[in-house]
Amino acid sequence: MGQLLVNGLVTGLLLALPALALSLTFSVLRFANYAIGSYLTCGAYLVYVGNVLFGWPLLLAASVGAVLFAVIAVAIDWLAFRPLRNRSGVTLLVASMGVAIALENVVRFFAGNSPRAYDVAVARPIRFGDIRLNHEQLTILMTVIAALAVVWIVFRFTRLGRMMRAVADNPDLAAVRGISRGRVVACVWLISGTLAALSGVLVGLDANVEPQMGWTYLLPVFTAAILGGIANPMAAVAGALTLGIAEELATLVLPVHYRMIVTFLLMVALLLLRPLGLFGKRWVTK
Amino acid sequence: MTVYLIATLTVVAIAALAGLALNLQWGMGGLVNFGLFGLYMLGAYIAGLLTVQGVPPLLALAAAMIGVAALSAVSALISVRLSEDYLAIVTLGFAECLRLVISYEGWLTKGMLGVAGIERPFQDIWPRGFGDIGFLALALLAVAVVYTVLQGLARSPFGRLVRATRDDPGVVEALGKSVLSVRVRVFAVGGAILGLAGSLHAFYYTYIDPTQFGPIITAYAFMAVVVGGRGSNRGVLVAAFSLIFLLEGSRFLIDLVPGIGASELAAIRLFLVGVGLVVLLIFKPDGFGREPRSALAEKTR
Repeated sequence: MGQLLVNGLVTGLLLALPALALSLTFSVLRFANYAIGSYLTCGAYLVYVGNVLFGWPLLLAASVGAVLFAVIAVAIDWLAFRPLRNRSGVTLLVASMGVAIALENVVRFFAGNSPRAYDVAVARPIRFGDIRLNHEQLTILMTVIAALAVVWIVFRFTRLGRMMRAVADNPDLAAVRGISRGRVVACVWLISGTLAALSGVLVGLDANVEPQMGWTYLLPVFTAAILGGIANPMAAVAGALTLGIAEELATLVLPVHYRMIVTFLLMVALLLLRPLGLFGKRWVTK
Repeated sequence: MTVYLIATLTVVAIAALAGLALNLQWGMGGLVNFGLFGLYMLGAYIAGLLTVQGVPPLLALAAAMIGVAALSAVSALISVRLSEDYLAIVTLGFAECLRLVISYEGWLTKGMLGVAGIERPFQDIWPRGFGDIGFLALALLAVAVVYTVLQGLARSPFGRLVRATRDDPGVVEALGKSVLSVRVRVFAVGGAILGLAGSLHAFYYTYIDPTQFGPIITAYAFMAVVVGGRGSNRGVLVAAFSLIFLLEGSRFLIDLVPGIGASELAAIRLFLVGVGLVVLLIFKPDGFGREPRSALAEKTR
């Protein structure tokens, strides 16, 4: 039971970064980025190139890969989403489906379909009484908490954070106050791309690096974001933790390969009963 | 070459059916169905499994249409409370769950091994070797019937109601019509068409497994509808035809470009599908076709 809770916590932390990335872009850009799973995959493969092909230590490879992918995320926005900015959310959703397919197949073209692993030393798990904690899980724990702290500080205390919140609340009013929407949007994609790439590395560390990896996380990530209230970035983290623990506990009654069904049922129940998310507030639309 | 042409045309017909179904649900009804591939897969499995059990193909096809329509209608019950992007995610999740169940409930579906030895209708007709043409005729007949029904539907009062629900559900509700009932019916009819498309898929390939069905099928259908113009059935037919011919034609690239393997080529083709979808949305958002009788709507816009 304690072990399940710990595993659930780690699963939740794995979901937290992409869920945060998703709800960040949703709150500022008002569209659900279906390509978030592919972002994760691309980030993981970029880091794989640094870590395995160039032989860098994982930390260096992950930093370089995350920054690189952040720039790529801005470029994707520039090419694919910016020209559609003033269309409906659904048009952007369909466009992001196109982006997702394109990105995934870029990866397939260069890397093929076979799963790969990062070059990290295998170590014995740490034991606390009955509870075992892998080194990978420890890395996940620390990385996610550090990343969350940084994002929270940026969001809460910096000028950029204030501008992001202003654009999220009311883009027109923010524009009147002299906030450049384009610059804020670029910053949001930088952060979101970094987070997605980082979580790609963590997922790759936890399991394997393969072209499908982001896809399997797509639904849980969306559920986590919705659980928190999709327009509320920090609540997405709480949503992710809740979902992670719920998924692990569900393995007590359901076979492991059906955890996606738990996620799905949770999402449907939530959307029907409390569409604003567990921690969401009704927002004012124009 | 003739063999190849017949094969491609059959694939075109199946794609056109999926496109027509999505055009009804998304183009006319405004219901974003990302889970299209799940219902298509379900159609293929119902038809495939029944045929393997010895049920005559046409009966299996009818069962698939009814089964998928029923499930689709049930899944539409939640649609009324969801906005478009949430509906997209929920339908996607539904389809993924379907795929999981089909992958793991091996006692029913043979799991990842797939269902082999599905019988294709008209395979033994006389004169020998005309089986493919017979099947193509069946597929084209299916497209013709579906097209006629949908065209009739689009021009009927019900079609007006569906479009009104898409444009302003509030007004429809205020006029005393039930938005939920309209959406459930749209999903049911769309589901029946997807069941038909899925059964034809199963008959045509005579072997199905869960890996054949993925979100890429949804993407193809969306592309057909975007290219064809939302709401235009004729546009969808033309779009499905040109899309599949381009995609199938690109298979021959393997002879032109040296040093490229089959899996790389597949990746390039799917990459082009993704990029094409985005490019179309940016440069040709209304597609090449036109919704019938939308002149008035355009004037007031």
